[in-house]
Amino acid sequence: MADLVWLHEDALRRTHPVFSAAASGARAVFVWDNSYLDAALIGLKRRMFIYETLAGLDMDILAGTADKVIATLVAEAHVTRLFVPATPNPAFHALLSSVRSNCPDLEISVIEDTSFVALGEPPDLKRFFRYWNKAKKHAMRHGGVLA
Amino acid sequence: MSSYYTLPRNFPDRAAMFSHVVSLSSPETNAITGPDVRAPSPIAGGRAEAEAALAKIDLRAYAASRNHLDGAVTHLSPYIRHGILSLDEVRNHALATVADPKAAEKFIQELAWRDYWQRIYATYPDRIWQDVEPYKTGFDASEYEDDLPRDIANGATGVACIDQFVNMLADTGYLHNHARMYLAAYIVHWRRVRWQAGARWFLQHLLDGDPASNNLSWQWIASTFSNKPYIFNLDNVAKYCGADINTVPRHNLVLDQSYERLSDLLFPHMGGPHG
Repeated sequence: MADLVWLHEDALRRTHPVFSAAASGARAVFVWDNSYLDAALIGLKRRMFIYETLAGLDMDILAGTADKVIATLVAEAHVTRLFVPATPNPAFHALLSSVRSNCPDLEISVIEDTSFVALGEPPDLKRFFRYWNKAKKHAMRHGGVLA
Repeated sequence: MSSYYTLPRNFPDRAAMFSHVVSLSSPETNAITGPDVRAPSPIAGGRAEAEAALAKIDLRAYAASRNHLDGAVTHLSPYIRHGILSLDEVRNHALATVADPKAAEKFIQELAWRDYWQRIYATYPDRIWQDVEPYKTGFDASEYEDDLPRDIANGATGVACIDQFVNMLADTGYLHNHARMYLAAYIVHWRRVRWQAGARWFLQHLLDGDPASNNLSWQWIASTFSNKPYIFNLDNVAKYCGADINTVPRHNLVLDQSYERLSDLLFPHMGGPHG
């Protein structure tokens, strides 16, 4: 059994809960996928910013087509569990669906970041101040939770 | 043949790393035009850099001056956008620096905007490039240009402060929020360009470019996610931007009007079938 952590550009830190969800010492990778970065409209300065961050994270930066690279790693290292940070990005969800199709036996866990505010029910998102009126008392507390 | 290869993480200096990043990028990305787009931003990536920026925040100075271009803004947004810092840890740090949580409220409310945009993105991921609501400008969406005019991308509009903001964006990959609002309003309302064209351009340049925060903020300016269009005038630029920005009236003629006059000029059909 081997675990693999697949980071993306929305979660570039070692303290993300995705690392504690996976086995201690699990391999972590970021796939530098030009097509994906182009589609996300990430220009040169931001690519540099991301690369600088990755270089300090003690993990592998692999160049290739992201879903194919992950499927290859799964086969090469007999990975049974894949851990990814949650993201709203539909382009990343499409890559994950491709991995799921190509690796039907792989267990995939999508791990949420620590929350800013822990709200009991989904807030009204029609306008910011409707959300803020619900979220404020949580947001102003350490950890975003009411005592 | 393997489907991947491992990229290096160690370089002799920042310039060498940047050259490497350029060599990895597609010709289209390298061809994005701008005065200084082929140099790294002065804002460096990395967790240590993020923690250093977080340690420097001064909420008293932030509350007093954040609306000014040379104010005590934190420059944390690129680190938050890429998850190098979590909203939770930034908020917790902010609260720990003040005796009374109310002193941190303005700052925490800005963090809440980020949480709000992300919640919308997560709930409606496919709507991020669509008008949330119709324009309330008196114009139909079909009356806006689809593409960003070249003179804007090149910082050559002839409106002095606008051209300075364009150059700042391309040079640094960062803009103060007021400058973002001015640029966005100029593009959508003075030039009548669809917000999507401007949003794409911002995403290509901003270190903190995020589809949700960026696009929905553009929609707020455009009035497709707000109750009225946002506009500004030269007096407002002069009030918030300091001596480094050229606010000489004859160099900024199209902005040098009262709000009433600008509203009449920019939205002559307001109150009609489209607003």
